[in-house]
Amino acid sequence: MLSSDNSRRCCEHVITVERVGIRFHFDRHRRVVTPNAARLRVATSMTWGLRDVTFSVSPGEGVALIGPSGSGKTTTLRVLAGVYTPDEGHVLVRGRVGSLLSTDAGLLSLLTGRENALLLGVLGGLSRKESKRALESVKERSGLGDAFEYPVSAYSQGMRARLGFAVVDEAEPSILLLDEVHEALDHEFRSIVHERAKRLVEAGGVVVATGHDHPLLELLCSRAIYLHQGSIRADGPFSEVQSVYFDHVPAVTAVTHT
Amino acid sequence: MHRLRAAVDLLHALTEADLRFRYGRGPLRLLRWLLEPFALVGVYLVLVTFVLRRPGEAPGLSLAAAILPFQLVMATVTNAMVALDIRRPILLNMSFRRNLIPVSAALTESMSFSASFLLVVVMMAAYRVAPTPMLLWLPLVLLVSFYLAVAAAYAASLLGIWLREFRPFLLSFVRMLFFLGPGLVPLSQTSTSVRRLLELNPFTGLFESYRDIFLTGRTPAAWQLIYPVAIASLVLAVFVPLFHAEQRQFAKVL
Repeated sequence: MLSSDNSRRCCEHVITVERVGIRFHFDRHRRVVTPNAARLRVATSMTWGLRDVTFSVSPGEGVALIGPSGSGKTTTLRVLAGVYTPDEGHVLVRGRVGSLLSTDAGLLSLLTGRENALLLGVLGGLSRKESKRALESVKERSGLGDAFEYPVSAYSQGMRARLGFAVVDEAEPSILLLDEVHEALDHEFRSIVHERAKRLVEAGGVVVATGHDHPLLELLCSRAIYLHQGSIRADGPFSEVQSVYFDHVPAVTAVTHT
Repeated sequence: MHRLRAAVDLLHALTEADLRFRYGRGPLRLLRWLLEPFALVGVYLVLVTFVLRRPGEAPGLSLAAAILPFQLVMATVTNAMVALDIRRPILLNMSFRRNLIPVSAALTESMSFSASFLLVVVMMAAYRVAPTPMLLWLPLVLLVSFYLAVAAAYAASLLGIWLREFRPFLLSFVRMLFFLGPGLVPLSQTSTSVRRLLELNPFTGLFESYRDIFLTGRTPAAWQLIYPVAIASLVLAVFVPLFHAEQRQFAKVL
């Protein structure tokens, strides 16, 4: 439960993350197991994927999560999407969330684009009728043409991202979560994503994105959060936080500045 | 009301996707649904008639009456054990009511279960067994079968995640229940001492109920339906709360 002070503060924010921690338990073969399964096994270990993470996002903000691989960017997005439930701390997300958190874009490979769009629409909160009605629009938005009727296993990574984004966009989310997916898109669709994200932020929505293509992220987000080993190292305007990140990773600085 | 409608829509969408995932599309799907029960009845018919030499009355129909409900539960367990793995991309991408996944696994296999009733029709025709008013009991017996399948699905989904390396063993355990029940021969053909033990198997009541409805024309005894319901309720009482508590961790282990 949040205290009354915190509750008041929460109401100004679309996203409030307070001292969130995410734990991962491993068995002796280093496979992730649930905490209950860990209790049944011998020689298990535990590590924190996120620890003591606190931030909030106000309406109309674009926030980039930056940091090296394994720093907790995807984990943070999954917490915001409700995929992970915090093992400690609290998360409050107000609004309809649209998420693209993997290059699979949540698509099942044996289903066609149309079948996936129908399923994702219902999973995303639309009724079956609404989801069916939206199919032609999703087909058009995705720009996949006849490929929409083919199994997704035949799609390239970019085509998957196009379909995933078209489904998310159709549901008109007020919070858009993008995990590196937009980096897999071709230039034409990338500009569509930018335009949509910009319009969402201007309308008081929120975009939280991760990735390693910083110029691309900066176009979407004016603010950045630098994560390192599951904790926040810096939070502020994009260019300032990026500098802090580069100061901590000299090799990156060298490559980027040449 | 809105929540219920959303749950129905979600179940519909999950089941439709699962059907395509597991059984493909088009008329070949029906063939796949029919092939396994027909093949099983064929193999066990040879076993009962020529090897065990205990064919009894209309052995093909008697076997079909046991194989049909057993296949529903067996296929549901097989499906449920990998149901979370199959849905990995969506489980890692968004939040939704994950505790409906086992019900969806049972619904998917119910479709193939419904199609395989053609086997019973064929067997009744082959043995010239006329339908009796006992067919009116069928909806209730179907409901009990589905209830047992749902219970098995919750247990299998969770055990499939907790004990991945023991999945083949779990399947063998369920398969064993067919032979530790009156699957091959009716209960009446077993010895009295063994009968008491066989009645502990939740499949026993179901097998006998289907035989009563399709073959002997008797009213299913109350225990035949109450006992599987009691066992299923016990399994649900244990595994639904566990599933609910564990589902928040699923995305981590997939």
